[in-house]
Amino acid sequence: MSTASAGLAVKMGYKNVRVYLQGTPGWSKTGHNMFASEKFVKSGNIVLIDLRAKEAYEAGHIPRAHNIPLASLPDREDDLPSIQKAPVVVYGDTLADAEKAYMMVKKWGCKKGSIWHGGVATWKGPLAKGPTPAEITWKRQMGKGEVSLADFMKAVEGNPQQLILDVRTNDEVTDGRFANSVHIPLDEIEARIGELPKDKEILAHCTTGARAEMAVPALKKAGIKARVLVADVECEGGKCTATE
Amino acid sequence: MKKKRLLKFVPFLVFAAFLVSGPAGSLHEAQAAEQAPAAAAQAKNVLTGKVTGKSNKAKTITIEVKDGTEMVKFDDNTTGLEHAAEGEAAIIEFSGQGKERVATVIKPKLAELPPGVTEISTEELVKLVNQGPSEANFFLVDSRPAPRYHEGHIPNAVSIPVDDLKKIGAARFPGDAKLNNTMLVFYCGGPT
Repeated sequence: MSTASAGLAVKMGYKNVRVYLQGTPGWSKTGHNMFASEKFVKSGNIVLIDLRAKEAYEAGHIPRAHNIPLASLPDREDDLPSIQKAPVVVYGDTLADAEKAYMMVKKWGCKKGSIWHGGVATWKGPLAKGPTPAEITWKRQMGKGEVSLADFMKAVEGNPQQLILDVRTNDEVTDGRFANSVHIPLDEIEARIGELPKDKEILAHCTTGARAEMAVPALKKAGIKARVLVADVECEGGKCTATE
Repeated sequence: MKKKRLLKFVPFLVFAAFLVSGPAGSLHEAQAAEQAPAAAAQAKNVLTGKVTGKSNKAKTITIEVKDGTEMVKFDDNTTGLEHAAEGEAAIIEFSGQGKERVATVIKPKLAELPPGVTEISTEELVKLVNQGPSEANFFLVDSRPAPRYHEGHIPNAVSIPVDDLKKIGAARFPGDAKLNNTMLVFYCGGPT
């Protein structure tokens, strides 16, 4: 995208055109800040954290923000939900404070963290008042091609239109499998695609959703409708459970 | 890209064919038997595109190529596995056919810069960003789709998705950029 854009700029007659090939992953990996836009802070599916003192927060904060004063943030790792998945956006009295918090949540595994760099001072919308909510909650929005946990469990109970596909390894399934499932390890899926019915929708799962996601193109290529369960699947003593 | 790659190897194939069919002693024959499949493999057995997934448990990589997503396995002999990271552009050479393809060598696919465009390093960009656009006379453009920009962007960047740029042209660049020889810096989600 960047090289195509740079090429267009050259065609428009610009002479001083550069491309930062490492892009956002390279920038973030080398420990540099990412800023969130106002739109994202206002309406994105985020965990927004106000790092200021309690009094300042209660007097006026950006709507939806939770208050975790910077000094107490190190003790609150366990209170942040799904840290690897949830985009955590932080703001404070100063950019330096926000940077400290941003680095901290990144160290905890937050992949989508960012900074609202203007803090309260540059917030254009109305501010909210009052104490911080008791708990930080966040729910992942289901992506395209995903099946909800509830629908998946219905298929486990039995649904003639759907079939569960377990793509875990042979070792992994020795501890159990879901009912109404067929088991084909991901690395065998292309060779054994003929074993799957074409008139049923396949709901693929593994232990997280990553491998199931990888199986989908092969299924679609074979003309099979498929969706993926993004959830943690654990089996013990023949019984499997899935949690979001 | 794929076509170019094939064409590049055509002479090689012809040479390999000569080795196979040409008159040769037993030593040459033995060499030909080794070289010909290797040459053919290099010409055909390459997948180039964006890695969409890698599973260590299943020893499988999925890669998005021009005509869709392909699956290829890997084993302990595969080199360059670190380049098969999700979201990275890679060139995967493999052995075997169809459903039994095994990656042999994985290389990063380096982006080709259009003529008249040069690369900028992280260090250089950090310096610019710290100075600010007006001070350092640059204009930083995020070429990704707008939602990606909103989630998180490099400080001082302006969102102009590549598809928008095609439509609106220079409308969102600073009006005096040409006059002041302002540096236009573009980035996206990696070397693509």
